[in-house]
Amino acid sequence: MAATRMQTDVPTPQDSPDFSKKDWPGRWSHINKILDRRGPFCDKSFSPGHGEDILLNQCRVLVIGAGGLGCEILKNLALSGFKDIEVIDMDTIDVSNLNRQFLFRPSDVGSPKAKVAAEFIMKRVASVKDKDDDYYLGFHLIICGLDSVEARRWINATLVNIAQDDPEKIRVLIDGGTEGFKGQARVIIPTVTSCYECSLDMLNKQTAFPICTIANTPRLPEHCIEWASVIQWPKEREDEKMDTDDPTHIQWLYEIALKRAMEFNITGVTYSLTQGVVKNIIPAFASTNAIISAACCNEAFKIVTTSQPYLNNYMMYMGNEGLYTYTFEHQKKDDCPVCGNQNAFLEVDKDITVQDFIELLKEKPDIQLKKPSLTTDTNEKIYWQSPPLFEQRTRPNLEKRLSELVKDGYNIIVTDTTLPISLNITVSYI
Amino acid sequence: MNIDKKTQKYDRQLRLWQVSGQEALENSRVCLINGTATGCEILKDLVLPGIGSFTVVDGKEVDGADAGISFFLDGDRIGTNRALAVTELLQELNEDVRGDYLAEDPISLIENRIDYFLQFTIVIAVGVPEKPLLKLSEALWDSKIPLFIVRTTGFVGYFRVTLPEHTVVETHPESIVDLRLDIPFPALEQYVKTFDFDSMDNMDHGHIPYVVILLKYLDQWKKDHDGKLPSTSAEKKQFKQLIESGRRNTDEENFNEALANAWRVFTPTKVTSQVQEIFNDSACESITANSSNFWIITRAIRDFVTNEGQGLLPLAGTVPDMKADTSTYVTLQTIYRQKAKTDIATVRSHVDKILSSIGRTSDFIHDDEIVSFCKHAAFIQVIRYRSLKEEYISDPKKSDIDRWLQDPQDNIVHYILIRAIDKFYETHNRYPDAATFFFEGDTEEVNEEAKSEFELLKTYVNILLSDLQITNPPDHLDDYIHEICRAGGSELPNMASLLGGLVSQEVIKIVTRQYIPINNTSIFDGIKSTSSTYIL
Repeated sequence: MAATRMQTDVPTPQDSPDFSKKDWPGRWSHINKILDRRGPFCDKSFSPGHGEDILLNQCRVLVIGAGGLGCEILKNLALSGFKDIEVIDMDTIDVSNLNRQFLFRPSDVGSPKAKVAAEFIMKRVASVKDKDDDYYLGFHLIICGLDSVEARRWINATLVNIAQDDPEKIRVLIDGGTEGFKGQARVIIPTVTSCYECSLDMLNKQTAFPICTIANTPRLPEHCIEWASVIQWPKEREDEKMDTDDPTHIQWLYEIALKRAMEFNITGVTYSLTQGVVKNIIPAFASTNAIISAACCNEAFKIVTTSQPYLNNYMMYMGNEGLYTYTFEHQKKDDCPVCGNQNAFLEVDKDITVQDFIELLKEKPDIQLKKPSLTTDTNEKIYWQSPPLFEQRTRPNLEKRLSELVKDGYNIIVTDTTLPISLNITVSYI
Repeated sequence: MNIDKKTQKYDRQLRLWQVSGQEALENSRVCLINGTATGCEILKDLVLPGIGSFTVVDGKEVDGADAGISFFLDGDRIGTNRALAVTELLQELNEDVRGDYLAEDPISLIENRIDYFLQFTIVIAVGVPEKPLLKLSEALWDSKIPLFIVRTTGFVGYFRVTLPEHTVVETHPESIVDLRLDIPFPALEQYVKTFDFDSMDNMDHGHIPYVVILLKYLDQWKKDHDGKLPSTSAEKKQFKQLIESGRRNTDEENFNEALANAWRVFTPTKVTSQVQEIFNDSACESITANSSNFWIITRAIRDFVTNEGQGLLPLAGTVPDMKADTSTYVTLQTIYRQKAKTDIATVRSHVDKILSSIGRTSDFIHDDEIVSFCKHAAFIQVIRYRSLKEEYISDPKKSDIDRWLQDPQDNIVHYILIRAIDKFYETHNRYPDAATFFFEGDTEEVNEEAKSEFELLKTYVNILLSDLQITNPPDHLDDYIHEICRAGGSELPNMASLLGGLVSQEVIKIVTRQYIPINNTSIFDGIKSTSSTYIL
């Protein structure tokens, strides 16, 4: 994962962009019409004639993700006059990026995205999860163009946490996401508006196939592909780590899946589907990325310059049947595990085991944790996923009833790899 | 490896429009009139997914302002022809796309050599004034070439599609489920009879597909109710109770599925009014040698419905996933597919009959096209656009516009303003451009010139409103007059890019004949971050 500072200028499509390029007469004349004049809808605090200074000299922006959305975001910010932009991305460039990520050429395949995208002035190896609070506080605005829910949750929780006790430390988060012809753009003002976690239950849940279906009663081509990757790979290629970017690995899975499908008279296993299932590919094309990125950057521009009111706080976009947007205020959830001021409240069966409770935390649409560790509010460990010593020591609790360890109406403190903070969950037995 | 470079490159979008859509895209020739920032953003989003070729027509010399807002220009290009400059940089995006340019003034080209534009698959006109636009739109209309009219100014984006007719088979509905539970076909009925629920062990009983559960209990219901389906809400409830009574334990997922899908039994399978309307269309009625494949196959399907189909469309033949063991599920799937195949063969014979009646051989329409058509028959779409001449001159949507305009939140106000600044431009050869809105404390900045700009534009707004016979313009109109004077015909990079995405998406839908395009005008308001679509 690389973080790259774009010192100044627009990354141009040429091979060797010239960052020292000077302004030319008229360069900002379009934007200045807006920034030099008051309008009937603009904020009371808007002061005509100062926009350029704000954009050029006072606003530091962090862009997370240099993929389809990230490229668009970088271009739009630079053209809108933002000068101080930093980019983080965690991917290298794949050929399949070339249909919508225009800052990359065929010759860039294999290079880390952030490096190429910002044309690389200063290289630092870093990760979203490695950054401390001060790093984020160094920016005025953070724009996310990611396809990873996990990274978004992490950043959202981090920013909410930083802002929690000090309004001075509120850093606006603008988040964009796309899937095929659909997408959304939203403005999150940590602790003030609803946050990413508040709307977690709006995400389409990934279809998970029950292991018994995969093993015993496959019906769909997807079941056969899952069989190849989840059951056959560990069995036949035990010592090898599966690399979903390696075409020979996909080919192997495809052949195994196809054989199984033929055995069961199931049709529809293809190489492309195999790749789609094992890599969990989200279909994408340039247009939707452009729409959502531009919507995000438009909000960034309006927020920073106060030249127009900004989005409060969610725009949903659908383009498969005609063209449709739904703009609304997503409500903050009082019991949001990240930004709510009330504990999350869970009603569970009085006989639920610790193991089943953990499964519940993973599956519940508004919680969706990955590897939760549980502690009582009197600091007794219920179950810890790591380190191994604690895992071993607390493992016997998995079989126990939760009610033996936590009394009705008491709190459980939950930590998870998904979030940088802990959640307080009040349990009630029924 | 069995995957070629191109399939790899376009993988993410092939999942949306498949090889057939990609081929259509690769065969398209796109013309862009005016290489503005918005125009280039549209082309960027078409060049990346791989159109066949593009041509930029633009006679303008690049100035500092152009270079400042376009990603496809830079300071070094100032003074060169804009078509040439942007073509070079757009071309770089995708080596599989051919880029071309014509360094000529598009307006004089429209006036003197209108036929030039007839060589393209699609024409995108950005910022062309009203008069030449009307001429261009008529010429393209007569040749059935789609025209996209695009405008951005300040925080507002507008685009309009004109095309006599657009038909879509692959509309990509969320799901195609056509199970015929209310009227099972013989092979399906036969299959259900082979199940004896009582003699099954718990394992098998828990794996009976819900289609079979529903049909079994429906059969029983019909026996007890003179062959009638459950229709009142009390009966529907009773029917669900009947299913519930067959459940052996609460864990039986297949029974949960049966209950969740019981509504499919109560919903009669029929030709929807939307499809019926297409069947009743005169283009379906009178097939000639000029009829498109769409209308020939639609007519064949209509003939199928009135004859062999007994009032129903050909079966789609897809079965959703459901709890079942492998062989039962596959058998059920085969039964539906087999019936679908038979229906397709019957439709094929109707197609052949129609083809021969217009003096064509069967190979004029490929089997694949009929297969896809039968699968999507319930979702086909026909859009007849209104022409620009109708909108502007012969039949403006006066009362609709009046009604929409009264709502202060409605985006139609931007349409009025865009039309008004076009009228302004026609006389003054420039767009309104001044600071006209002030606070009390700003008084020293107010100047008379600025005030008069507002009044001047307002006269054009009023001319347009009176043309549209709108007698009570709403108060909020003034705010938008101020705002558009402020924008001064400027293009903002974000709005250019946003419109680029919207327009390119609609171009892709029209070119691939997949998904449902807008009809006919779309407006995006970047102040409120809302959009609206209007038939104008």
